[in-house]
Amino acid sequence: MMLADLVINSTPDTVHAWRPFLDPITLTGGKWWFLLIPLAFGISMVYKAVRLHKMKRYWREVLMMTIQIIGTMILLAIGIYLFVELFVPWAEEFV
Amino acid sequence: MAETSKPGSDERLQPAAAVLAFVLPGLGHLHLGEKQRGICIMVGVLGLFFGGVFIGGVDVIDSKEDKWPFLAQAPVGPLAFAVDWLHQNKLKANDPPPGASADWFRDNKPNRTKSLSHVNEVGWLYASIAGMLNAICIIDAGWHAPRRRRKDDTPKVVGKMDVA
Repeated sequence: MMLADLVINSTPDTVHAWRPFLDPITLTGGKWWFLLIPLAFGISMVYKAVRLHKMKRYWREVLMMTIQIIGTMILLAIGIYLFVELFVPWAEEFV
Repeated sequence: MAETSKPGSDERLQPAAAVLAFVLPGLGHLHLGEKQRGICIMVGVLGLFFGGVFIGGVDVIDSKEDKWPFLAQAPVGPLAFAVDWLHQNKLKANDPPPGASADWFRDNKPNRTKSLSHVNEVGWLYASIAGMLNAICIIDAGWHAPRRRRKDDTPKVVGKMDVA
């Protein structure tokens, strides 16, 4: 059976609406990077809850750590981009 | 409400707190009387775990196909095992046999969609980090050592003492 027949025959039965927690979310393009922001926030929440002596400055510390993680990831991305795009082509000339 | 640990006063093994921290993230600290800390751990760990399941679907918790990530996810506790059991026994999408026909797909409708690519990777990363963070929380609750004082926590000297 051809692939087209397979799709046509199976579509009405198998296609269903998105169900949260069962089906993955649909992300197109480069949007998946934005998922790293809540990840950094969650890591900061748990880490600072364990680490801090007093909980008085908790949310401020969480925010600071989140910004530090995201900032470091951006700097690493820039560093790797420059390494691949500039340094590697430049170094190739000497090999 | 005791949110801080007194140095030297409670540095001892707390097996009940460690077990409770494994049963439900944050419960160990709640048991030790650290209410705010326990709630923050609970919200953080469960938020990351279910955030991962939300992003990648139930497919990100799979002890059979993704054994190594599941080892990191397991410290979340019975919840991780429950989701895995549910996945393996009720929601598993069976791979079609080689040369499967349209009839096979009609008779074996998958009851969920398999997650692929970045959503799968980010999903299991969320759940794995949740598990590893809860492992730290279990150790912290189990060995309840006084927290190291940060410079910010020490009382500030307002001014010099006038010595007449």
